[in-house]
Amino acid sequence: MKQQAVNAPMLNEPLSFRSRLKPIGIQIAVLIAPFIIFGIFLLFYDVNPIALYGSMLSSTFGDLYGFGEVLIKATPIILTGLAAALPARAGMINVGGEGQLAIGALFATWFAVFYLSSLPAALGIPLMLAAGALGGAVWAGITAFLKVKGNLNETISSLLLNYVAVFTVGFFVHGLLKDPDSFNWPFSPEISSALRLPIVNGTRLHVGIVIAVALVLIVWLVLKKTRMGFRIRVLGSNHLAAERAGFKVSWMQFGVLVAAGALAGIAGMIEIAGIEGRLRPSTGATYGYLGFLAAWMAWNHPLRLTITAFVLGMISVAGNSLEISSGLPSSSVHILMGLVLFFLLGSGRRLKK
Amino acid sequence: MITDILTGAIRSGTSVMLASQGELISERAGVINLGTEGSMLGGALGGFAVTVWTGNPWLGTLAGGLCGLLISAIHAFLVLTCHANQLATGLTIMFFAMGVTSFFGRGFVSEQIVGFNPVAIPYLSEIPFVGQVLFNHDPLTYLSFLLVPLLWFVLFRSRIGVILRATGEREEVLFANGINPKLVRYAAVLAGGFLAGVGGVQLSVAFTHSWVENMVQGRGVVAVALVIFASWKPIRAMIGAYLFGAAQALQLTVQQAGLPISPFFLFMVPYLLTLAALYIVERRQRSQTPEALSRVFTGTSSG
Repeated sequence: MKQQAVNAPMLNEPLSFRSRLKPIGIQIAVLIAPFIIFGIFLLFYDVNPIALYGSMLSSTFGDLYGFGEVLIKATPIILTGLAAALPARAGMINVGGEGQLAIGALFATWFAVFYLSSLPAALGIPLMLAAGALGGAVWAGITAFLKVKGNLNETISSLLLNYVAVFTVGFFVHGLLKDPDSFNWPFSPEISSALRLPIVNGTRLHVGIVIAVALVLIVWLVLKKTRMGFRIRVLGSNHLAAERAGFKVSWMQFGVLVAAGALAGIAGMIEIAGIEGRLRPSTGATYGYLGFLAAWMAWNHPLRLTITAFVLGMISVAGNSLEISSGLPSSSVHILMGLVLFFLLGSGRRLKK
Repeated sequence: MITDILTGAIRSGTSVMLASQGELISERAGVINLGTEGSMLGGALGGFAVTVWTGNPWLGTLAGGLCGLLISAIHAFLVLTCHANQLATGLTIMFFAMGVTSFFGRGFVSEQIVGFNPVAIPYLSEIPFVGQVLFNHDPLTYLSFLLVPLLWFVLFRSRIGVILRATGEREEVLFANGINPKLVRYAAVLAGGFLAGVGGVQLSVAFTHSWVENMVQGRGVVAVALVIFASWKPIRAMIGAYLFGAAQALQLTVQQAGLPISPFFLFMVPYLLTLAALYIVERRQRSQTPEALSRVFTGTSSG
């Protein structure tokens, strides 16, 4: 929260946009209000909100382990956030991060278990990453196909496909990809230890965060500095202008959605290779939606996305400690996240496409 | 077996049907509400909770409808008053409602209720085949049978319907007639939320008789998709919802028959069917989209 409040005035927006900004006081109020409302809500359940927010900050910045936990949570949120932000810049709303992550994790595990198990890390990890990206891209490709060929709204199709993706993963971990030694538990065999991402000592933190930040920079550079990025932004801000300028709009939409899927798929691969080591039916659940929230909180700007993803990661970790310390379910912090976005959406700033 | 599937289609399709009729009202006024999923969740929990407390499912229905209405009020406020992006707002509401219901629903997971049970209508239910399929349902389902023609009448044969449809097509016309389109949209979204809430009640109080976290499982999203599939016509939306219900009823029938088909494929079928139906219809119906709505789809309007 604090990071955002500090960050907001520093944004390098064009002057015309900045002049439309409401006074900074209101902006800060918008960012703080959801925390106050949620705090009042917590009071009814005998939780001291100040203590909670305090412990949220201290556990994040207090020690390396806590900081690592937040980064671990932030990593997939950054990637699924990119999967929402990139299409949003092209004027599309992709909510399929959830499914694309799941299928990416499925592909990554499948390749890791059946083809890559004897490879050294230097070769195996990049291949597994590619497999994850491929899985996400294939899944987003369905949405993209329906959009381009069937004129089907990508928001609705990507949402529906999320449910299909969960069942697909369920099918594989109960069947073809089930660990024969699992005593009937639905999960895949463990991937070979050479394929696990290297870990920072004393934490569970893996190099996934580096991959995520690198991809943020790439997406940002592409959007900002290349001709393709310019075209994507034109398409997002004025569909008609893009058509009149002779852009191949359908192809661009297809490409952007598939690229977004690949990003979410990489998040799935990182979850497998960095944290879980094997595929479970619940791998990566809700990260897709969190990424979507993070992207819209950052107004679909890749660099700001890293900050909002970090904040959401912090809140998620706080949710876990809330469950342990006061018995409230960890999902109660989803209420806080929803509130934050409500206030942002309602604060009157037009959303950037 | 066919009787079973058809009866099951109505039984499990009714919740989607109610929600899709509600969504249809709201989309006719030019507001797409993906928060329908959230309204259904809220309705399912609110209705279930009140039924547990009072033992009266009718009070539960009312409460569930009101929960749905409250949740859709967030959507109406953000979209209509603050001009937030409709699709993003709806999704946030969906996520928010998941958090809220799983929080407040914890205590209700193991509760049991009597709720609504199928009531066979005398004489009519004895008609072979038809009676079994149509006249052996819970009271909410009967009400939903009545709702569809009623909604059709209101939309296409009444002054209110003209106003509602004009809001979605050309709001300038309303201004010219001294009616505030924003007010009409508010009313439409709230009515839609109420119906979605009742749909949720049908799911928890009449169909499963239980509350499970996130039990709506995308039915609200399906309802939104079905409205598009139905070209914004109530009767087609009803058919679509029963199709979805039939795909779900198929699961049970296939499992009972012991056919060697993975249950996961059967779980997917309703969603895939919805997508396929949309794909087939959507290719040739752009002109029927309410104009205010098509601006949302193409992203040329953020309010």
